Amino acid sequence: MTVEMLLPPLLVLPLAGFAFTALVGRRLGKGAHWVAVGVIFLAWLIAMIAVVNVLTGTAPAIEGTDSHGYIVGPWEWIPAAGFHVDIGLYVDELSACLLIVVTTIGLLVHIYSVGYMAHDPGYWRFFAYLNLFMFSMLLLVLADSWLVVFVAWELVGLSSYLLIGFWYRKRSAALAAKKAFIVNRVGDLGFALGIMAIFLNTGTLEIRHSLEILLSPTLAAFPIPVPVVALLVFAGAMGKSAQFPLHVWLPDAMEGPTPVSALIHAATMVNAGVYLVARANPLFAAAPSAMVVVAAIGIFTAILAASIAMTQTDIKRVLAYSTLSQLGYMFAALGVGAFTAAIFHLMTHGFFKGLLFLGSGSVIHAVHEEQDMRRMGGLAGKIPITYVTMLIGSFAIAGIPPLAGFFSKDEILGEAFKLGFPWIWAIGLFVALLTAFYMFRLMGLTFWGAFRGPKELWDRIHESPSVMTVPLILLAIPSAVIGLALGLPFGASIIHGWLEPVFREAVELLGHAEAEYQLFGIDGALIGASVAVAAVGVALAWRYFGADIDGVHLPARPEAVREISARPGLSFLYRASLNKWWFDELYHLLFIVIGGRIAQAFWWFDREVVDGTVNGIGSTTVVAGRNIRRVQTGRVQNYALGIALGLIVMAGSYLLLISAPR
Amino acid sequence: MLAKLPQIIFALLVMGAVFGIAVVMLIALGQDWEDALLWILAAVMIGSGLLVVTMRDIIRCGLAMIVCFSALAGIYVLMGVPLLGAAQVIVYIGAISVLILFAIMLTQTKDAPTRLVFQTQAGPAAIAAVVVAIVIALAVSATDWGEVARNARLGTELMSRILFQQFIFPFEIVSVMLLAAVIGGVFLAKREPGGPS
Amino acid sequence: MSDSLDTYLILSGILFAIGSFGFLARRNAISMLMSIELMLNAVNLAIVAFGLFGRYPDATAQGAVFALMVMTVAAAEATVGLSIVIAIYRNKKTPLVDEYDSMRQ
Repeated sequence: MTVEMLLPPLLVLPLAGFAFTALVGRRLGKGAHWVAVGVIFLAWLIAMIAVVNVLTGTAPAIEGTDSHGYIVGPWEWIPAAGFHVDIGLYVDELSACLLIVVTTIGLLVHIYSVGYMAHDPGYWRFFAYLNLFMFSMLLLVLADSWLVVFVAWELVGLSSYLLIGFWYRKRSAALAAKKAFIVNRVGDLGFALGIMAIFLNTGTLEIRHSLEILLSPTLAAFPIPVPVVALLVFAGAMGKSAQFPLHVWLPDAMEGPTPVSALIHAATMVNAGVYLVARANPLFAAAPSAMVVVAAIGIFTAILAASIAMTQTDIKRVLAYSTLSQLGYMFAALGVGAFTAAIFHLMTHGFFKGLLFLGSGSVIHAVHEEQDMRRMGGLAGKIPITYVTMLIGSFAIAGIPPLAGFFSKDEILGEAFKLGFPWIWAIGLFVALLTAFYMFRLMGLTFWGAFRGPKELWDRIHESPSVMTVPLILLAIPSAVIGLALGLPFGASIIHGWLEPVFREAVELLGHAEAEYQLFGIDGALIGASVAVAAVGVALAWRYFGADIDGVHLPARPEAVREISARPGLSFLYRASLNKWWFDELYHLLFIVIGGRIAQAFWWFDREVVDGTVNGIGSTTVVAGRNIRRVQTGRVQNYALGIALGLIVMAGSYLLLISAPR
Repeated sequence: MLAKLPQIIFALLVMGAVFGIAVVMLIALGQDWEDALLWILAAVMIGSGLLVVTMRDIIRCGLAMIVCFSALAGIYVLMGVPLLGAAQVIVYIGAISVLILFAIMLTQTKDAPTRLVFQTQAGPAAIAAVVVAIVIALAVSATDWGEVARNARLGTELMSRILFQQFIFPFEIVSVMLLAAVIGGVFLAKREPGGPS
Repeated sequence: MSDSLDTYLILSGILFAIGSFGFLARRNAISMLMSIELMLNAVNLAIVAFGLFGRYPDATAQGAVFALMVMTVAAAEATVGLSIVIAIYRNKKTPLVDEYDSMRQ
């Protein structure tokens, strides 16, 4: 049994789980999760086997590159002449890193959902959709053809739609699902155009082959310029990973159940865009102008989202905007050429954001479906496991060493500075401060201080069942240590070693020199700056929102917060942040109002001109008939007059003809 | 009487004009009396024809028609076919006009004199009639008839010889047709048995 | 003047036009029939005129006999036409042709 033989089952198992649970799940009632969770567990095992083999070099080498991995297939899919598409599976180090995140977090979310969705009547449906999503995501990560990636892309979007709108009877959920799908579609249009452009340029849809051709210097001019192709592909990534201006769907997607938010909107689906750009890194490396665009959009999204997260009151919204912000970091990293840093942050973020979301789900479960943080507070003693794990997650995302977030975030910022993008470094540093601030604002409002909810609720607050808390603990561990594991030693980290063959060509193309790592020189200064900024953010949050961990006891000061946010210059910023910088209203105006008018005009045109012409032809016939009928008066004399007229015309014209030559 | 005044005056004016021209031609230009007579008879015919189509009272129209026929008979005689003139008088005036007058009397309505004479399409009809006349006149005058001279007066014997030798077949058919017409006319005008009187 | 064919033909044409005006413009059915008789007479005149100016010996006689046939046909036609008018009059109680429009669409 070779590892290649195990890979197709890796895809087939979740699909089979989906089919089984969808068809039979309703009758299984409470037992609907066994097959679904079991299937994902097996998938996780297979994935881990493959990952270990790939990352330790046991897997066979892939010709043409220095990486190790598995290629399964190819199977013929579309044998049309001129458009031949073969599909297969391709696992290299990049796929392996993604597989770790996807399968681990997927498995833990499945287990968590057993507890979280226990009282939901659509229990079986949830697991069916979750399995469908896992299949789609695995297909996306393992595919070796752009077309299959696109198919998986759409499937992931579909699963997201189904899961966001899981409680479909709730109007806001249905609308949010629709919004997510439509905004994704806009990005998908760009992606589809990008794939077509790749095919036009290279004549093949196979990923490695097409990237080779795009990089080869022998081909002078492509029909579609490479920067355009890169930007089109990035458009798809923008949709799926919710970058500006397609970021509006992610906060609304919080209407879905919390495990969905954790899995899809923190750890896996939104990372698909990052994966796409990373997989297409030669394409981007050949178009430095496109990379600058990627970096700019990324860092802009980061600061935009962080500014909004500062004032949100729904616990899940804060985390959603935080996700947007961290995704912005990843795209900024990709844009400056720090591909490894981006993937590293993808992995660490997946773990601690997944942890934070699942933890927030536990909090919501504890306070009986309350999501507004203004009615929480002081929960630290009542739900200790949740509290401790979320504390670890918050420190991780804030970038406090030695937790995971510090390593990956610092690497991004350091690379940005060293590769010649000081403005990105500066903005990123400010965003780090904001990140620390709003995360500990969340902690302060939720876990410390006095409880601000209804009195009778306080006694009913209890810790979640172990099926929910064990995944939390299991996620807290990598959030704490994965940075140490993968990020050390500085300058020649393990993850660098893994991913170096994947990005080597791109790095060469961009001409980034491998500078010596100076811990006590520039790099040390950068580390110090990051840590200092994070500490300042945490301290500010503690000052205004309270803190209650060993050694530090500070009261919350809501009056001070109110007073600050009412100051002249700041009150506008506060309102803008609270209203999400009015993007939803802007889009509503542009597309619904103006677009609606344009659509009305076109509808008018279709109704009056097009249909009018067709109807007019019909009514012409009718009207003509009706009027010609009036000749038939039934009176002989009228007919005789007609005869006389005819006689006159004939005789007269004959006379004229006769006399004409004269 | 007064209602018909305009038409009668108009007809009289036309006749007077033609008379006048005829007299002028006769006296001043020294034309032959045959030509003048032709003009006079033509004037009478046209004038009475106009009266036929414009008078209000149908009986008077019928009488004007009789005058028209007789003028035409006179023209036939002048043209040199007296047999035809006689046949015109016998058939048209003696039979057809009487038939028409009988039919008028059978279909009279009490309010006939007070109703409209002309149809709504009388205007276009008048224009069409004038145009027809003009077209015929143009066609006739535009045609080159070549060298033609008037033939001599026709005797009865010659005409009847032609009738019963060359035209014997049409003669027989016409008689059959007359029979059919008589039978058909009787049948059509018959009253339904037990129907309204 | 009477030596030219045109005179008789133009005369015939004028009478024909008068007859057609009467046929198209009068309301009474009998008036229409009278106008038809006028038109027929005009045609008769034209036939005789053509015969009169024919270039072979029997032309005049042939023209006259032809006109005689036409006269006969006119008589038959007047008979049948008038009996039809009488029959319609019995049905519609009016001799006015604008009332005879049951074939109207």
